[in-house]
Amino acid sequence: MEFDQLWQSALGEIELQVSRPNFVTWFKNSKLIDKKEGTALIGLPNNFAKEWVENKYNKVILGTLRGMDDSTKKVEFVVYNERTAQKPTIKSGTKVAINKNDDFGQLSFSEFKVDQVTNLNSKYTLSSYVVGKSNEMAYAAAMAVIDSVGNKYNPLFIYGGVGLGKTHLMQGMGNEVALKYGGKIRVKYVSSEKFTNDVVWAIRNKRMETVKEKYRLIDMLIIDDIQFIAGKPSTEEEFFHTFNALHENNKQIIISSDRPPKFIPTLEERLRSRFEGGMVVDIGVPDYELRLAIIRSKLQDKKAVLSDEIIDLVANKIQKNFREVEGIINKILFYQSRKNGEITAKNVEEIISESSQEPTKNINPNLIIKAVAEFSEIAPLDLLNKSRKKEVAEARQILMYLLREMLQLSYPHIGRRIGKRDHTTAIYAYEKIAREIQKNPALNQKILIIKELISKG
Amino acid sequence: MNLIILKDNLREGLNTLERAVAESNTLPILKNILIQTEAGKVKLSATNLEIGVTNLLFGKISEEGSVTVPFQALYSIIVNSDTERINLISSGTTLIVKGENYEAKIQGLNPEEFPIIPKINNETNSIEIDPGSFKSGLSDVSIAAHISEIRPEISGILFDFQIGIIKLVATDSFRLAEKTIDHTKFKTNFNQGFKTIIPLKTIQEIMRIFSDTKPIKIYFDNHQILIKNETTELISRIIEGNYPDYEQIIPKNIETEITVKRENLVNALKLVSTFSSKTNDVRLKITENSKAMELYSINQSLGENNYLIPIKSKGADNKSLSFNWRYLLDGLKAIKTEDIFFGINSNNRPALLKSPESRDYFYILMPIKGD
Repeated sequence: MEFDQLWQSALGEIELQVSRPNFVTWFKNSKLIDKKEGTALIGLPNNFAKEWVENKYNKVILGTLRGMDDSTKKVEFVVYNERTAQKPTIKSGTKVAINKNDDFGQLSFSEFKVDQVTNLNSKYTLSSYVVGKSNEMAYAAAMAVIDSVGNKYNPLFIYGGVGLGKTHLMQGMGNEVALKYGGKIRVKYVSSEKFTNDVVWAIRNKRMETVKEKYRLIDMLIIDDIQFIAGKPSTEEEFFHTFNALHENNKQIIISSDRPPKFIPTLEERLRSRFEGGMVVDIGVPDYELRLAIIRSKLQDKKAVLSDEIIDLVANKIQKNFREVEGIINKILFYQSRKNGEITAKNVEEIISESSQEPTKNINPNLIIKAVAEFSEIAPLDLLNKSRKKEVAEARQILMYLLREMLQLSYPHIGRRIGKRDHTTAIYAYEKIAREIQKNPALNQKILIIKELISKG
Repeated sequence: MNLIILKDNLREGLNTLERAVAESNTLPILKNILIQTEAGKVKLSATNLEIGVTNLLFGKISEEGSVTVPFQALYSIIVNSDTERINLISSGTTLIVKGENYEAKIQGLNPEEFPIIPKINNETNSIEIDPGSFKSGLSDVSIAAHISEIRPEISGILFDFQIGIIKLVATDSFRLAEKTIDHTKFKTNFNQGFKTIIPLKTIQEIMRIFSDTKPIKIYFDNHQILIKNETTELISRIIEGNYPDYEQIIPKNIETEITVKRENLVNALKLVSTFSSKTNDVRLKITENSKAMELYSINQSLGENNYLIPIKSKGADNKSLSFNWRYLLDGLKAIKTEDIFFGINSNNRPALLKSPESRDYFYILMPIKGD
């Protein structure tokens, strides 16, 4: 750059007029930042250098610069830290061993391994994202967004259950964009929780401008688990403004949630309609083939081998929350390395059953009744009496289905408990809902949400 | 310059400056201190260009002036001198030091060559804080800090000023400590929150040079922090960059909650660690129906040992985890209560140490990978 050359030749002259120690100490990392209307602005790395150069070498510098360009009338000085002032470059995929302690097995906070600027974790790449029937739509949309950031599907709204790979897909998109566009597109990944924390901190400390600075000067915002901002008015408000500011400027927004926008309770209408204004795609529960493929890909990453029988067993046993797979594979491999020998199907079953102790903490019929009542906004008593209103009837069938499915209560028991009905009513309700779930994604979604309410108690 | 000063005062002043003096080969004057008369007082200054420290002393001044001489020479004279009153006279760039039966001439440099110690750019806003609380807070968190060239932003302590509280945070990415100082301990006219990172070396100097009794005031601008009491001032650069978002690593739920006598655990760790290997690992295991914790360490060439201490615990049992005992001990030292709350999770998630009663301090720590 022109300023740099000018300053280099000025330094050459200054060096002749100042003693060597002084030159090395005070002019190291100095920089000509700007020059206009006769004023040259010199950046120095710290206040000590600024004070000294300003007081002692003002004339020398002015004289030198004037000798090169006689329009220079004045020199001003600021503290300018090259390292922090430069636009950080994105080093995707570079892994820095934080400390030699890593070798000894001392674990470090994995959250600190994210890129300081983008917040992305480089371990999530699209090349390790396995695509199958249940996520091909989401993947296709993601690829389209990467090709044409901000213009194609904006916002891209991805929803699906826990542990199905939303975060992997979104972070993978972020890493891919950072790599492909070499940092020209500024990416930021943030969890809803973090966004909420930032808003709360800013409100509490009267620094709302920090949120604006942080979230509006980016080109691609990825926000995870948006359902957590629902029902937090100030956060929703701030997110709404952030969303608009970015969207109006064709900046890409990618949002994930455990459910589609219309099923996020207490989400403000104006946000809901904006979320639905782009592309909404879902990631479903992986089918058997995809599960197999994911397990094989994870093994490949670890350069490990397991027999087909074992892989098949794991794929069959773990169906819903695929996040567990990683841990289970690790345990199986650990077991295998320690026992130094064949691992049997029985061992694997033990490992799986001990790992997937889902927190089935004290689910009881009352909890289920409460959750169904809460979700369908029907008084619990109405569910349990003989009302034949249509919406009550449907909620009641869901309730019977859940009592059977989650607690394995007997049909006669369910019938007695829910409005003194016959056991055939309970069987009918269970079978009807079980059948409809297959065909009707909206119903399936409802049931998933109710189950979540139940598990939250 | 001609002045008389009490030896003990001068020695104390020199002590304050000691670590701000630099062994610089490029700029030899950084080995010096500057002695000036200013408004009827004697002012000593030293800087290593990262921090600058000044100290005001009382003295009887008969002639104004200034001089700069090597710190080490003056310091050894004053430490070894047996007279109560010292007479300092400048003659050109030379300093004459006179005691009762003693006289020394120290060759100095031109005081004009001594670096200018910068001023803070915001003198209107400050925090007046109880030095004891501030210093003990710094000392409780700084155990978790570590100077890292790869990650300069964690080579210091986060000073997170919020309306009504100050949070101090330090981490080396293996453990993290947070201290909260509540509003009863400080007064301020800052009306907005801000975050800044103070270099670890500066923190160590703050803890060393400021007394627990004289109130201190803290000032900030975009690049610097200034701490001062009525006699001493320390100005330092701050670390530019963003502190990691550490909130997300604080464990939100704890699988096994243990209450243990602090002294028991400290002693057990010290004893059992005798056999721990280079990694400093000690294995902890909850046994005896969750009523005891076993500490165990093994060294392939030396042997092994174990120790059983009584605990109260709640939550998942059969836990077995390894920790670096030094890290664990650091956290235990910072918590001064009789009982300790020790929350542990699975072997790849952080554990939490705090006092059972107070909420103003916690220490979190990652385990060592093991089976």
